[in-house]
Amino acid sequence: MRKTRLAALFAVLLLALASVAVAGCGGGSDSTSGGGGSETSGGGGGEPLSVGSDIPYPPFEQGKPGNYTGFDIELMEAIAEKIGRKAEFQDTSFETIFRDVQQGKFEAVISAATITDEREKAVDFSNPYYLSEQAVLVKEGSSIKSLEELEGKTVGVQQGTTGQELAKEEIGGAEIRPYPEGPDAVNALKSGTVEGVVIDAPVAQNAVEKSGGVEIAEKVPTEEEYGIAVGQGETELLEEINQGLKEVQEDGTYKKIYEKWFHLEPPKAIFSATHEAE
Amino acid sequence: MSEFFHQYFDFTIMGDHFSEILEGFLRNLLLFAVAVVLALLFGLFLALLRQLPGKKFMPLRGLTIAYIDVFRAIPLLIILFLISGGVPYLNFLPKDIRIPHWFGQPDPFWYAVVALTMVYGAYMAEVYRAGIEAVPGGQVEAARSLGMSHGQTMRHIVVPQAVTKIPAPMLNEMISLLKDTTLASVIAYSESLLLGREVLAETFNSSAVMLSGLMFLVVVLPLARLVDYLIKRNQGKITRGSHIEVA
Repeated sequence: MRKTRLAALFAVLLLALASVAVAGCGGGSDSTSGGGGSETSGGGGGEPLSVGSDIPYPPFEQGKPGNYTGFDIELMEAIAEKIGRKAEFQDTSFETIFRDVQQGKFEAVISAATITDEREKAVDFSNPYYLSEQAVLVKEGSSIKSLEELEGKTVGVQQGTTGQELAKEEIGGAEIRPYPEGPDAVNALKSGTVEGVVIDAPVAQNAVEKSGGVEIAEKVPTEEEYGIAVGQGETELLEEINQGLKEVQEDGTYKKIYEKWFHLEPPKAIFSATHEAE
Repeated sequence: MSEFFHQYFDFTIMGDHFSEILEGFLRNLLLFAVAVVLALLFGLFLALLRQLPGKKFMPLRGLTIAYIDVFRAIPLLIILFLISGGVPYLNFLPKDIRIPHWFGQPDPFWYAVVALTMVYGAYMAEVYRAGIEAVPGGQVEAARSLGMSHGQTMRHIVVPQAVTKIPAPMLNEMISLLKDTTLASVIAYSESLLLGREVLAETFNSSAVMLSGLMFLVVVLPLARLVDYLIKRNQGKITRGSHIEVA
C-alpha cells in the first residue's frame, strides 16, 4: 500500500515536472492573468491553473468571488496541489463553458458536468470524479426498503430529473407525481400523500438531515458520471489531472472531501471508474 | 424568428403528444366541472348568509364578510399549497378525508377542488351580492308586507331575480376558474400544463405547453363571446327602458 502510494507520488511529481517544462506550449497559459515568470520554480509552485466553473451550484460549487468552496472546488484544489499548481477559479456560465475551455479562456472546467458524447466533441474529459446516485426516500420506519417495493405505489419525483426517468422505467404500475421542486416532493412524502420519493442522493441526504422524519431506503447508481474537462488535445494536462485525481482518491483526501460535502460514503465504483478521452 | 416558431410551434411535437395533452386537458375540464358546481353553491350560501337580517345574525354576517375578504385576498396558489400540504397532517380526521382518493381521483384532485371552491366561492358570493342588491328594495318591502318571511322573500322573490342579472359576471368568474385549474400542476395533478412541461423537460421544446394553451383557447373563446353577448343584451334592455323579466 505505502509502496504503491510512494510510486504513484513519484510518478505524479515526474509528470508535473515534465508538464512545467513544456508549459510554454500549453494552450491555456496565454490568457491567464499573471501566469508568466513562474516556470523556474519547479514542481512545488507552478503557475496557477485557471479553472472555469458555473457558480453557484451547491453543494458542488458555491461561495463568493475569491472565496469559492464546494465539493468540486475543494477537489480541484487538491488535484491542482498534487500536480504542483494552484487552482484559480473563474465563475462563468454553463452554456458557454465548454466553448471557453476549448478556446483557452481557462485551462480546465469543473462544474458538476456530466460526461456526454455531445460534449466530448468539443472537449476532453478526465476520469469520472463523481458518480451520480439516486436515492429512494421513504418515511421513517416505512416497510419499503427498495426501489422495486415501490411497485404500484404513489411515488414523488422532481420534474425533468434523472430520478423521474428512473422511477418511470424501473417501477411498475406506480403513480408517479412530478413536483416542480425537490422539496415539494419531500413534503408530500412527509405528509403521507406519496409513499416514496426518487431523487438525487445528495438532495435526499440533505432532506434526511434538515427535515427529519424521512430516511433513505436504497441508493441506486445511475449512468451519469461527472468529469473534469480540458481543451481537446491537451493530453498532458489531462494526464496530470487523471493522475492527480487518482492520487487524491488513494490518499483519502477524496473521501474526506466527499463526506464533508455530501455527508455520505463515496460509492466504491468511483475508485475504479475510468474514462477514455476521445 | 424561425427559432421562436420551432420552440413554440413545432407541429411534429404537438402531433406526437396530442393525445396525452388532450387527456390532461380533459382532467382540467373534470376539475373545473366539479369545482364550479361546488363554488356556485358555496358562493350562494355565503351571499345568503351575508344578507341575513337583524341584530341576532350580526356575528354570522361578520364572519361571512371576514371569510370572503380573507379568501379574496390570499392568492389561490398559496391556498392550494396550504391545503395540499396541511390537510394530510390533520390527524384527528380519518385517513380517507386527509388523503382522499374518492371516485378514483387522486388526492391532488380533491385538494384542488377544495381550494378552488373556497376561493371561487368567495368571488362568486360577491357576484351574487351584486345581483341581490340590484333587485329593487320595493320588491322586498312588498314581499315582506304580504307576510313572507325573510327566507321566503329571498327564495321566491330576490334570488330568482338576482340570478337573471348576473350571468355575464358569473361567466367571467367561471372562465377564470377554468383557467386556474392549471395551478393544480404545482401539487402534481396530471393536468395539461404538467404534461406539457413533462414534454418540455424531455425535448427542451415548449410546443406541448403551447398546445395546452391552444386547447384552453378553443374552449374559452366561445365562452368569452357569450359573455359579451349577454352584456350587450342586458344593456339593450336597460336602454330600451324595459324591465328584466323574472325567470
